[in-house]
Amino acid sequence: MSDYKSVKVSKGRGGWGGPLTITPTDDRPLVASITGGGIHPVAQKIAELTGGEAFDGFSSSAPFDKLAVAVIDCGGTARVGVYPMKKVKTVDIHATSPAGPLAQFITEELFVSGVKPEDVEEA
Amino acid sequence: MTGVTTENVDTVVYDSVVTQVGGQVEAFLGHGLLIFFKAGSPPELHDISVLHEATTADDGPRPGDTIHLGDCGLEVLAVGPVVRDNLLNLGHLDLKADGRTEPKLPGDVCIRVGDIPLLAVGDTFRITRPRTETKENHP
Repeated sequence: MSDYKSVKVSKGRGGWGGPLTITPTDDRPLVASITGGGIHPVAQKIAELTGGEAFDGFSSSAPFDKLAVAVIDCGGTARVGVYPMKKVKTVDIHATSPAGPLAQFITEELFVSGVKPEDVEEA
Repeated sequence: MTGVTTENVDTVVYDSVVTQVGGQVEAFLGHGLLIFFKAGSPPELHDISVLHEATTADDGPRPGDTIHLGDCGLEVLAVGPVVRDNLLNLGHLDLKADGRTEPKLPGDVCIRVGDIPLLAVGDTFRITRPRTETKENHP
């Protein structure tokens, strides 16, 4: 058993949803950064504080059911819905609100947006 | 006679080839939406996306550019603020046939209301920009 800690992720300026409490587990250890340009600082901070494993979703792949959280830089349509649809907690660094064809899956329990590293704190 | 002629030449700012078309793509077209991601994107995105491999990736679209989907050219009406980064970093683009001249969402690329063609593997996904060249003609 690994010893994971929890973090609270709150919405940032103009954001929506949350706060989310994120706790990696042995079944879901990965903090996935589904963003451009490598691991985003928000994903890095979540991984550091929880003991989860930061992971660049665009340079390698893992099953989504291993994800403790998906950090995205979505412009409001696609990724904002894909991960909540699969019941994966989702953190968007852009200040988006539920929209797009998958909007029905985006809930305050699964999604928070407008998040910067300072919006991630120990729970 | 000395004259000046204006010649329109399009610059290709993005050029790519479709490698895979997800199972949900046609359903999304019915809502006036087409989503692109680059080949090699996380598998959970494949179902909703057209995957493609770019050979030219110099810039994202601007209003007035033309997006070519196979043989179909569509004028860009509006572009959200995160579109360029998403396209150049992730090969990602959300095309919306909503007729807006101001994007509703930060990732939107807006075109006229109407059908968007269903792409097939091997089709072109290209963005061109009109360039007006002025040449002086001497007798």
